[in-house]
Amino acid sequence: MSETLDSPAVRVHGVDMAFGEGESRVTALKQATFEARAGELVMLVGPSGCGKTTLLSVIAGTLTPQAGEIGVFGQRLDGLGQEALTAFRRRHLGFVFQSFNLIPTLSMEENVMVPLLIQGADHGEARARAREMLGKVGLAGREESRPGALSGGQQQRVAIARALVHGPTLLICDEPTSALDKDTGAQILAMIRDLSRAPGRCVIVVTHDHRIYRFADRIAEMEDGRIRRMVDDPKLLDQPHA
Amino acid sequence: MYRLALNMLFGDRGKLAMLLCGLSFSALLMAQQTSVFFGIMSWTYTPVVNIRAKVWVSDPMVEQVNDAKPMRDTDLSRVRSVDGVSWAAPLHTSFLQARMPDGNFKLVTLVGLDADTFAGAPAEIVQGRIEDLRLPNTVMIDEWGAQLMSRTEVALDGAVTTRPLRPGDTFEINDVEARIVGICRVRRAFTGGPFAYTTYDRAKAYTLGARRTLSFMLVEPYAGVTPAELCDRIERGTGLRAWTSDTVIWDWSERSLARHTFWWFWRNTGIPFSFGTAVALGLFVGIAISGQTFYSFVLENLRYFAAIKAMGAGMGLLSRMLVFQALVAGLLGFGLGAGMAQAIGRVMIEKGMPPFVMFPQVLWATLAFILGISLVSALIGIVKVSRVDASTVFRG
Repeated sequence: MSETLDSPAVRVHGVDMAFGEGESRVTALKQATFEARAGELVMLVGPSGCGKTTLLSVIAGTLTPQAGEIGVFGQRLDGLGQEALTAFRRRHLGFVFQSFNLIPTLSMEENVMVPLLIQGADHGEARARAREMLGKVGLAGREESRPGALSGGQQQRVAIARALVHGPTLLICDEPTSALDKDTGAQILAMIRDLSRAPGRCVIVVTHDHRIYRFADRIAEMEDGRIRRMVDDPKLLDQPHA
Repeated sequence: MYRLALNMLFGDRGKLAMLLCGLSFSALLMAQQTSVFFGIMSWTYTPVVNIRAKVWVSDPMVEQVNDAKPMRDTDLSRVRSVDGVSWAAPLHTSFLQARMPDGNFKLVTLVGLDADTFAGAPAEIVQGRIEDLRLPNTVMIDEWGAQLMSRTEVALDGAVTTRPLRPGDTFEINDVEARIVGICRVRRAFTGGPFAYTTYDRAKAYTLGARRTLSFMLVEPYAGVTPAELCDRIERGTGLRAWTSDTVIWDWSERSLARHTFWWFWRNTGIPFSFGTAVALGLFVGIAISGQTFYSFVLENLRYFAAIKAMGAGMGLLSRMLVFQALVAGLLGFGLGAGMAQAIGRVMIEKGMPPFVMFPQVLWATLAFILGISLVSALIGIVKVSRVDASTVFRG
């Protein structure tokens, strides 16, 4: 974890990933190569089935590729065992999921406490930090509410609080606005960008939603299991590949 | 995380209710059926409880208290001569048909007591006095027997009434009159019939002068001589079999007449099998309902478990959470089931039927089974969660 802001926080090189056997074998990633730097918000975009989610899973250490190298903040993930990968995720990763994945039988506060409790934090301390984080996402006073009592946008804000409460160095967001309307989606992305701006933290967002491209520092366009190009300006995506 | 695991469990009230229904039903079935079983089995050695002698002496071939093999009256003198015997009294027990005034027959357990000492007399006499048994052709019957042998009366106005027998009423045993002079309260017996207490000598008359009428001898040891020690001396000195009156069936004493009786019925009747079937049924129902319900609880929460897994929870933590949830449900289910069994037992004890004895061991065994069921359910859940791929959380 001694990377400078300019060195790659995430480095994926020559990754191959396929599912199934024989005729039903589907290749999801073909020699995929990608880099994201600490301090930036990178979006992975592309058509359905191009391998965005698979690449995200590989970076998150929840899928192990058949070939290639993956490094996150200097830690090689390829070749790590399940226990080590689990411990790595626990310490360094935060997640925002497409369908929120808030546990419906727990309160907002309890949902946000989960990553801290997984790390072995004291219940009282976890509760205090969860309350503080809920305040930051504008949900102070709703700590005891259940997910079912909140709107989609509010639920995603709780998910953001949960993803950031333990101070992860890499924030992984999978289609965070797909279940939200345009305005709410923009608010959520703005919140992700503002709250996750921290030295040494990297944010990777997988999205289909072109309306939020403007929040990205860089955009990686994927096609057929590999990164087609990386652009700094979303407008460049409309131009043919040079 | 355990507190959150608990909140996850209690948050889904419908599933929790189903889970508790399955577990408590199993606990109820196991505790209640086992207690009725032990109640019935405890009736098998009722004479030992009712007659209250420290040492019993029988023919050497006797295997249990309901299996009297009559001895010679002279055996009583031999026992009295054994060193350490304070006193020894004869006891007759037999099953005889009693003819009621309306011509009906009832099987009664005739108990003949020594008329001098009344050793073995009932502890609680509700009506009359035990000494009245010295009057000619008299018996004392137990309260339950008085109900069983109820007589029907027709009043002058034609009204028909049925009432329990009471002092002054009569019936016949082998054509010899038996006049009731008292009512006693004793524990009911496996054989079911009423008890009719009389003197030892009159019992001979009721059995039509059978050659041998000495079923058992009741013996009191001298102070300082233990019943077990005296049993050894009697067996060595007379060749008869001597027993202690301990009624703790878990005590593996070779001398306990109650324990021998209990295990004789265990080995030679189908009672343990039939009750064992009911208990096993409770166990299977419990495993099926709670296993299925807990599994569906895990299935419903699978995506959340996958999310927790993705966030960095290892299988160790998730397994402990699932085991904790299952054990809490198990303890609650046990509490509810055992509580219901106790409540039903209380009603049974008040009514006297069927017999109900809830040993602490029954509760401990039920608890162990219920927790076992819970652990099996948790194990099913753990296998399911261990197979779920953390990356599924990225698939919407």
